[in-house]
Order: sequence, then structure tokens, then C-alpha cells
Amino acid sequence: MKAVIIDDERLARAELRRLLAAHPEIEIAGEACNGDEALVLIAQTSPDILLLDVQMPGLSGFDVLERLDDVPQVIFTTAYDAYAIRAFEVNALDYLMKPIAPARLATALSKVRPRSGPTRLERVFVRDGDRCWIVAPPDIFLLESEGNYTRVHFNGQRPLIRRSLNTLEAQLEPAVFFRANRKEILNLKWIDKVDLGVAGGLSVTLRGGRAVEMSRRQSGRLREILSL
Amino acid sequence: MKVWDDSTGRETPAAYWRYQGFYWGVFAVIGFAINLANGGNTRNLVISHILFFFYSVGLTHVFRGQILRWRARHRSGIRMRFQLLVGILIIGAIQTILIIGIDTTLNGTRLQDWPRAAVAGLGWGMYIGTLVWTIVYVRITERRAQEQREAKMQLALREAELRALEAQINPHFLFNCLNSIRGLVVEDPPKAQDMITRFATLLRHNLNHDSRHTVPLSAEAEVVADYLALEKVRFEDRLRLQVAIDPDAASLPVPPMILQTLVENALKHGIARLPQGGEIQIRAAARNGSLVLEVENTGELMDSRSADTQVGLNNIRERLRILYGDRASLALRSSGAGKVVATVQLPKDS
Repeated sequence: MKAVIIDDERLARAELRRLLAAHPEIEIAGEACNGDEALVLIAQTSPDILLLDVQMPGLSGFDVLERLDDVPQVIFTTAYDAYAIRAFEVNALDYLMKPIAPARLATALSKVRPRSGPTRLERVFVRDGDRCWIVAPPDIFLLESEGNYTRVHFNGQRPLIRRSLNTLEAQLEPAVFFRANRKEILNLKWIDKVDLGVAGGLSVTLRGGRAVEMSRRQSGRLREILSL
Repeated sequence: MKVWDDSTGRETPAAYWRYQGFYWGVFAVIGFAINLANGGNTRNLVISHILFFFYSVGLTHVFRGQILRWRARHRSGIRMRFQLLVGILIIGAIQTILIIGIDTTLNGTRLQDWPRAAVAGLGWGMYIGTLVWTIVYVRITERRAQEQREAKMQLALREAELRALEAQINPHFLFNCLNSIRGLVVEDPPKAQDMITRFATLLRHNLNHDSRHTVPLSAEAEVVADYLALEKVRFEDRLRLQVAIDPDAASLPVPPMILQTLVENALKHGIARLPQGGEIQIRAAARNGSLVLEVENTGELMDSRSADTQVGLNNIRERLRILYGDRASLALRSSGAGKVVATVQLPKDS
């Protein structure tokens, strides 16, 4: 599995490299010392794991994640308590406190899974003010277009992401995410019940109670898929 | 009975007005008795001495306001004493003029009827009267003001020490520092040893409470050198340093932690935010009567510096004010392209 190390301090990167030497299954694809370099490195190497320092000059670790179309599995490395707490909310794979204990690193790495496929969106990073989330598509039940932005509905949250609905649709598993109408995409696995709506369209109610009106064309396609 | 207001260091109004009433009351009564014995008109004497009581209280009350203002600005002893004397002379003169004016009006006499010696005697009497009033007032209140100043100074110094302690024990500095040293242990063991020693020195310095009001600049510079050496391990080439302390400035007294606070700010808000890093320049020089400390860093002056910077700068300002009154200053400004400089100016003598 490929990992990249992102930290602004050379000594911290060198230290992490030495610690990773004990894990031959991890191949270090490269190091970056700031956010801009990190983005280039990630684009070039498509790593499975990011070992990411949160506080860096210029782009912070969160800024880097926000600029990624698809987010690899993230292990935050930090010396800073406040950020560790935020990393919790982010739902990162793990977070490591510097100086890093070898045993803690081993625990974190044991959670890493290889990427399933190269084309599908695995994780998306969403930020809303001070709060951040790394969201996996199975948790998303609805995507709602708002101009160039998309509102992502998951787990009681509905923050905006700086990507158009069409861009996201192209990256999502078509067998799971279904275009309901011009403005909404729903997760088929979250459908609770389907009713006959007004003017021949279908009205879908998702688990959690959210109702989505299907366009007439898409109602027909949904009937086929669900073989109603 | 509460005589002092602990929050402001001023006497309570009740104690002050008791003093005013007692002092000028006794003064007026004695004057009345003497004049009566010399055969004055009783009614006119009663009127003129009641008036004397009130305008004397009024004049010294205004004067007292000025004394408190001077004291708040913390004028040096000799200058303030001179100003007090001038004030007393003016009040004595006004009292003399009022006494003569009221006397001539009440008794229908003319100014020419007053012999020169009598006017001079009256003037001296008023001058001495106000002088004694002032000495008693200043002596009593000064001791209290001094105590208050001392207490405030201690408090501000404690705060600065506490903040410095937090800065060095804050998780960001502490753990990054330990992490860097951990890396150095493999790469450069002698340097790792040196850094551990510096780290210990710095912690010890901050844990030992030094309650002195000032320390020699050279001692303050040593602490800063340890701190910067540790940060240099983390930042490496991103942190460039230039220190120029004039030999004749090194022994001059400065408030402790003053340079340290400025350097921490320069690093936190300047260098740490720049991917390419930058330079911190520390300069100290004695220039005609003052000591000028400057900490300049690469970076931009932000409109809204974070709250903790303001706390740091305000703490320095507070301590400078208590120690030196309006004779010291702290300014933070942009110094040309991409540079920010903090300048502290201190009087050399104190």
C-alpha cells in the first residue's frame, strides 16, 4: 500500500519515515513539506494513505483534503490538542500524537485497507465553518444541487461541498446513486418507501423521512430498476 | 471604617471630605479667632471666614484632581515636586487675593489701606497653609498609591510569566520540540544533547518565579536564545536569525519576558505562517537617554491580530505603564514590504 508523508518539518518527516521502516507492507510514495506540494504529490501517486500534519503554513491539512476529488484514508499526525479533537469529528482513520509511539502507528496502520477500485469515489471531505467530515458514499442518502455547490445529506448533517452535482454524479457508483430529478441524486439503498405522486411521477421517501419527488422520465427508470 | 478604595487606590470620598472639612475648618476657626481678638467686625468676619472655608476647599479639591492626574502619569519625583510647589503658590495667591477682595468689599475699605507687610504676611500664611495641606495629603495617599502600583506590577508580571510558561508548555511547542529532538537523537546526537539541555534551562527559567521588576537585557537575551535555538531545530532553514545587541545596552535593565513575548509573537504570527519561512531580527541599542528594543519579522501586519497576541502586547504595555508611566512605549507597525516590527522604547535611567 502506498503512503505519502505530509509535514512541514523535515525532522518530523524523517522520524515518520524511520518509524514506517518497521512496516514493509507500506511503501512511501513520497514526502511533501506543504499543502501545494502535497496536492501535486497526491495527484501523481494516488496513495492509499495520507500521513497528514494538520498545522502547516499556507494550506493546512484540512485545506489539502478539501481540494481533493477523492480522499484517501487519512491518518492525522499532530502535536496540537485542539486539532486532535477536530480530527475526531472528521472521522479520520486515526490520529497520531507527535512524538509518535511505534505501537500507536502499528494500530493505525492495521486499520488501513487497500483501495477497492481506481474509478469510484471512496471518500469525500466536507467542511462547514469549523466542522469537517470525511464522508463515505454509503452514508450519503441525498445530494442536492445548489448552483455550483452541492448539499450533502448524511448522518443528520447537510453541509455544502464546492462541487457541482454533475461532477459528483460522474464519480459515484451508478448502481447506488440515482438521479431523481434535475436537482437531486438519491442513494437507492436508503429508500424507505415509494408512492405514486402527482402527475404520474413517483414520490420516494428515504429512511429518516426525507421525501424526494421523481421527474416523470426518472420515475420510469426507477420502476425498471426496482421492477415495480 | 473604610478609608481606602481598594479597586482604584484612591481614598474613599468620606475620608477625603473629612480631611478637607477638618483641615480648612480648623484653619478658618483659628483665623477667625485671631482676627476677632484684633477687633474686627464679628458679622463680617463670620461671613469672610465661612467663604474662606468654602473656596479653600474648592481650590484644593481642584488641585487634588490635578495631583491624581500627575500621579497616574507617573511623573518623576523632582518634576512632580516642582509642579506641586507651583500649584501651591498659585492657590496661596488666589486665597490672598480673595481674602483681600472680600474684606475690602465687606468693610468698604480700599486696597491702599492694606499695608504691604500685612499683604505679605497673609500671602505667606496662605502659602504655608496650602503647603501643609498638600504635604499631608500627598504623604498619606502616596504610600497607598505606591502599594497599589507594587501590587499591580506583581500581578502583571505574574501574568507575563504565566503566559510565557503556557507558551513553552503549550502542547504545540512542547510536543513538536520533543518530536524534533527525537529525530535529532538519530541524526545528530551531540546536537540532541544540547537541545535537551536548552529545553531544561528554558523550562527551569519559566518555572522559577523571578519577581524582580527588571533584569539585565543580557539575561533576557539568554532566555530568548535558548527558546530560538529550540525553534530553529524545528524550523531549520525556514527560521533565519539576526541578533544585534549593542554592548552598552546589554547591561541595561528591562522588564523580564519582554523580549521573549515579542519574539514568540514574531515566530507565531510571522515565520510559522510562511511556507518559505523568514527572518527574525532582534536589535537593542542605547540612544540618547533611552533603550530601544526592536523585533522585526518577515510577515504581514494583520488588522485583527488574534486575541492572544493582543493579550501579550497589552500585558507589555501595562507593565511599561506601571514601571515607567508615559516615558516608555510599545509600537507594532509594518516596516516596509513584508516586514513587521515591534519597537519598545524604555528610559535608560531606572
